[in-house]
Amino acid sequence: MKQIGKRLIELLLFLLILSFISFLIMKLTPGDPVRFMLNVDDVSISEEQIESLREELGFNDPVYIQFGRWVLRFFQFDLGQSFMTNQPVTEELAKRIPASLALTFSALLILTVISVPIGTLSALYKDTWVDHLSRAFALIGASVPSFWLGLLFIQLFSVRLGWLPSMGKGTILHMILPSLTLGLVMAAVYVRLLRSSLLESLGQDFIKSAKARGLSSSRIFFFHAFRHSLIPVITVLGVSLGSLLGGAVIIEVLFAYPGVGKLAVDAIVRRDYPVIQGYILFMGLFVVTINILVDLSYRFLNPEIRLKELDRN
Amino acid sequence: MKRMKLALLLSIILTFLSACSTENSSKEEVNSSGDHLKELTFLSNFPSETLDPHLNWTPLRAGMVETLVKMTEDLKLEPWLAEEWKSEDNGQTWIFKIRDDITFQNGNKLDGEAVKASLERNIQVSEAMKASLKIKSIRSEGQMVVIKTEQPLPQFPSELVHPNTAIIDVSESKIEQSPVGTGPFKVVSYEANSKLVLDKYQGYWDGKVQLDRATLTFNEDANARTLALQAGDADIVYRPAIESLETLATEQSNVITVVPSLRTHLLMYNMSNETLKDINVRKAFDALINRNEVVESIMAGQATVANGPFLPEFPFTPNYEVKSFGIDLAKKHLEAAGYEIKDGKALKDGKQLSLQLFTYSYRPELPLIAQLIQSNAKQIGINIEIQIVENIDEYLSQNSDWGLATYSLNTAPRGDASYFLNSAYMVGGALNPGHLKHDKLIEKINELNKTVDEGERNLIAKDAITIIDQERLHSFIVYPNNFAAYKNKVQNWNLSKSEFYVLTKDTGVK
Repeated sequence: MKQIGKRLIELLLFLLILSFISFLIMKLTPGDPVRFMLNVDDVSISEEQIESLREELGFNDPVYIQFGRWVLRFFQFDLGQSFMTNQPVTEELAKRIPASLALTFSALLILTVISVPIGTLSALYKDTWVDHLSRAFALIGASVPSFWLGLLFIQLFSVRLGWLPSMGKGTILHMILPSLTLGLVMAAVYVRLLRSSLLESLGQDFIKSAKARGLSSSRIFFFHAFRHSLIPVITVLGVSLGSLLGGAVIIEVLFAYPGVGKLAVDAIVRRDYPVIQGYILFMGLFVVTINILVDLSYRFLNPEIRLKELDRN
Repeated sequence: MKRMKLALLLSIILTFLSACSTENSSKEEVNSSGDHLKELTFLSNFPSETLDPHLNWTPLRAGMVETLVKMTEDLKLEPWLAEEWKSEDNGQTWIFKIRDDITFQNGNKLDGEAVKASLERNIQVSEAMKASLKIKSIRSEGQMVVIKTEQPLPQFPSELVHPNTAIIDVSESKIEQSPVGTGPFKVVSYEANSKLVLDKYQGYWDGKVQLDRATLTFNEDANARTLALQAGDADIVYRPAIESLETLATEQSNVITVVPSLRTHLLMYNMSNETLKDINVRKAFDALINRNEVVESIMAGQATVANGPFLPEFPFTPNYEVKSFGIDLAKKHLEAAGYEIKDGKALKDGKQLSLQLFTYSYRPELPLIAQLIQSNAKQIGINIEIQIVENIDEYLSQNSDWGLATYSLNTAPRGDASYFLNSAYMVGGALNPGHLKHDKLIEKINELNKTVDEGERNLIAKDAITIIDQERLHSFIVYPNNFAAYKNKVQNWNLSKSEFYVLTKDTGVK
């Protein structure tokens, strides 16, 4: 209980520091939301009117006062309203987060389905044609820009074959092309990572000991070597999940998929400070949660860690 | 046993996939009269993060809402929800008579009170509209609405063309999701930045609505929009990839349509820079712009040469002086400004003419135009350093180190010259970062700001634009085109110059 409380205080402090840094960066970066709010490229406005609104909204106050106001509202569970839509930031995020989570996890599924068999086979058949083929796949996958691959998929599956919708959101069919594009591009890295990790595991003493105990090859591979080799993969995956959730902007734009990444980019372009802060908070929370889960997974994947902890306690 | 498991798995997958594809395999839908449902999908590049008409243009573009005043395709103002209007005190008090035969999509009658409530909400939620309309008070009586502005505003009717001034029933909740307007289409479903489904409003006041259903989708990637048309996911695609137009045109089922837009790409001069105060220097830069090359090479033919700020069709456009391109001509102007070209350098008092040209990448053609000017200027010894900034408006207004800037703006978005003239040529105007101050021009704009009569306004605007033209206060380069591609089954669809009116009651399908 004490540990949970400690962890929560740490989390709160982390989020406050993170939001202060992002707030500071936003304020130091050139850009003026007032010009967007007043549609200066469309409505006859004077510099005086711009300045007056800036003053009214408190944008001329020192940064620490502006941040203080934001923190006060944050502790009242109010993240403010979007300058773009006049809607509460929580509502704006809530509209996009489910779609982004769905895209993230479906891309993750594709990534797993592709990288685990190929990575495993290339480790098992090291330096054979299988391994060479997997290396070629990884090289191509890492070099192909995701937007180009996405366009090729649209051309093939939507224009030529007419099997899948080219864009939008609504049914599972709409999810296939964006997930496939994201998953395939990322799988390239994981294929190589899993291969090297597996090769390392297979050379460990505990594998030799398992063989000496007469365990079957498949049992040694799946329950010992493969499980152990997942530690670096899961670590990198933890980092990738954050970028998958919030950084799949190119894919979101290409497939007109309304995710949280595009919302953040639009907010940055228009200097919609409340939305940017809300996004940073959400992403911070998500990344911390994933890291905790990754930490917990180590205990399951490597019994040594679990046993050491038990010894300590 | 294994085979049975495999068969079971396959049947589950097939059932799942067939369930997912019900949208495509469903029976052909019919409308209320039992006829084949007339529907189309419009794919645009302008995403809609909200459907609040007072903050976003999509509701007007989609024909969900309407404004009091409309701009016609020949760029003239026309009554829409308002039957007529007048001002009796030189543009400070405006009396609008609202049409008596209109109902909102929820059946409520459109009257003066509803218009008053809508405009009051408008200036409450939109800082831009509050600043633009300058409304002091609104009074209503029956179908009449009396609006008093904070100062005389002769261009007030044209300000009411703005999509954000659309009239909605404010008694309805969830305006950001499903606003209730008077247009030919009403909301069925909406997902921000993704999809908007509309059904025809049976009680529409202005005649029969041709379509039963319309779907608007959004995609900011031009290549993806092109592919969507080819894949059959869209019937009308706004701004497909410019390089795909030729290919699309070769397919018999496609129609390509092109109109000049109300936007103008221009070269701004910073008058705080002593060098640029000299009209001959500005004339030299003007002569260095090869407008035809911009149209052909940079804009792939999708633009028209601009000799002034406004399209020639506007009633306030004077006969512009035709601008000639020529390195020798530029050299002549430069010599008239006291420069001597020696050893490949344009020198005055021993100093080379050297300027910084700012531009931005949001419109990719602008940095290319900057490069063209830089390259031509080099031929007569002018050194131009190009700087690309992210936020051009803010940079130009807060810094004085720039000399030139390639820029783009909608010069007459609502069919009136006063927006551009006031913003770009009055001291303190938001689009006057170059500190232009031409007394005779300011006098003309002030006169325009006090004149209500349309004919007189046009004459004054013509005079003002002639001054801008003769003095080369800006160099206007091209009017970029609006273009779209659509399937030939689409009927009566016209690409609007103003980009305000996209779906109308007349849009139909075969």
